[in-house]
Amino acid sequence: MADYQEFINEMGSKIKVEIKKKRRLYFQVKNDDILEIIDHLFNKMGCRLSTATATETYNGVEALYHFSDDKTGNYYCPRVVMKDKENPEMNSITPIVKGAEWIEREMAEWWGIKFIGHPRPIPLLSRNHPKAPNKPMRCGR
Amino acid sequence: MKTKSNLKNIVNKNQIPLGPFHPLLEEAEYFNITVDGETVVDIDMDTGWMHRGHEFISEQKTFTQSIYLVERICGICSTSHPLACVHAVEDVDNIEIPLRGRYIRTLVGELERIHSHLLWVGLAGHFIGYDTVWMWAWKYREPVLQMFEIISGNRNHYGMLRVGGVGKDVDPASVPELNKILDTLDKKMDMIAKIANDDPVLRSRLVNVGILSKKDAIDFCAVGPTSRASGVRGDIRKDEPTDAYDLVDFNEIITKNGDVYDKFVVRVLETLESIKICRQCLNKLKIIDGPILNNVKEISAGEGIGRYEAPRGEVFHYVRTDGTNRPIRHKVRAPSYNNIPTFQASCKGIPIADALITLAGVDPCYCCTERAIRVTDKNNKKNNIDLLKLSRDKTSNIRGNF
Repeated sequence: MADYQEFINEMGSKIKVEIKKKRRLYFQVKNDDILEIIDHLFNKMGCRLSTATATETYNGVEALYHFSDDKTGNYYCPRVVMKDKENPEMNSITPIVKGAEWIEREMAEWWGIKFIGHPRPIPLLSRNHPKAPNKPMRCGR
Repeated sequence: MKTKSNLKNIVNKNQIPLGPFHPLLEEAEYFNITVDGETVVDIDMDTGWMHRGHEFISEQKTFTQSIYLVERICGICSTSHPLACVHAVEDVDNIEIPLRGRYIRTLVGELERIHSHLLWVGLAGHFIGYDTVWMWAWKYREPVLQMFEIISGNRNHYGMLRVGGVGKDVDPASVPELNKILDTLDKKMDMIAKIANDDPVLRSRLVNVGILSKKDAIDFCAVGPTSRASGVRGDIRKDEPTDAYDLVDFNEIITKNGDVYDKFVVRVLETLESIKICRQCLNKLKIIDGPILNNVKEISAGEGIGRYEAPRGEVFHYVRTDGTNRPIRHKVRAPSYNNIPTFQASCKGIPIADALITLAGVDPCYCCTERAIRVTDKNNKKNNIDLLKLSRDKTSNIRGNF
């Protein structure tokens, strides 16, 4: 747990820690700060993006990124909560992490999240589909 | 206005569709390869042909049912997905696994790595027209499937895993027989390692082909042998040792060049390491007694991340629970999801005859359906080019020079 302390000290004012346990740190980030946090995790700390998970909750639509620090085996999971369920939008991290292109396209397609600044905002799974589904994972949870 | 040079570009650049059904591809996927003469200049991918909605289905199932569901995501990785899934559920409550269960999980996971890598080595040989490698590799893969049958009763989809341990024990009486098979396999893998080192045809076709630089591997967040062949350190078994990986001795295989040859070498050497791990597990199973399953009554509300180093790289599962017996969110990410986009870096600038083995280099799974490939140029002229034939012909020509 002590491994996280340096990160928390450095970014403490911009993150709100939600879950802190062995090798896992989940924290909430404002959309305005997400790019700075991602830049710190990916470029300064050398973390690798495993993937990202979108979820619909009572509070809104969430995008949770999973960054693995392969040197320590720790996971850093920044979460952005979009309260506007009708038109959720957030900044794209793909300009910083090229490997996020597919997962952000997938989240946009399935949850209707608009990723601002995504270099290639086209559907991943239903491109050229004759009857593309409309936000199929949004089941009103 | 069409200038002379623009016109030349239009005439020379052809689009070669690969897929959506092709024996090279693990699932039905579509690649649109743009070539200038014989050189690949661009590659575009279109996925979604095999989408089966596993994440959504899993949210309707109990945790135990989800294990059987995710086991069927991939026929080759039918231990890796359920292992990552149970790791994720166990991560919610930090559930402990009995020692014997940990060794059995590790044994099954490593046997899967051996058979998967041998499958790839064989297919790589086939794609470059070196069918001897194909036949040998698949011949030596067969005893591994027999080992699975001895251990689990199945050659595939082993149904071994449960939250809290494993569901089936390894019969101690079968350990000598399993060790004997490993001894034979060890010698044969040594032979394949020597072939990789010595064979001039294999080297001619694989060395400096489809290079993925270290920077590109990091940028695309590649995982497994694809990134380790490019010099990027990272193996879940070392980084976050679950099961019995902190109790066994093995080496992480890393090479530097990032070409298909290095991916070949990484996989062959990893197979030898896996045999070493299996031996250690079997020796421990002879002397360790005790339960194999920790009886888990309930999973509390929370979030859990589970991962496992599958043969192709990190398998990632995330579950979010609300205290009931099923997840409210289950995210699954297979290693190929991160590795396939690296084609954008590794395929550009290579001859079209090498594109096939480069695409196969990240080890996407293969299906058995082949479809004729249609080539259309800007003038809508249609020709039939078979990438597999091009690749095999190239090896045949090289072989003629030796």
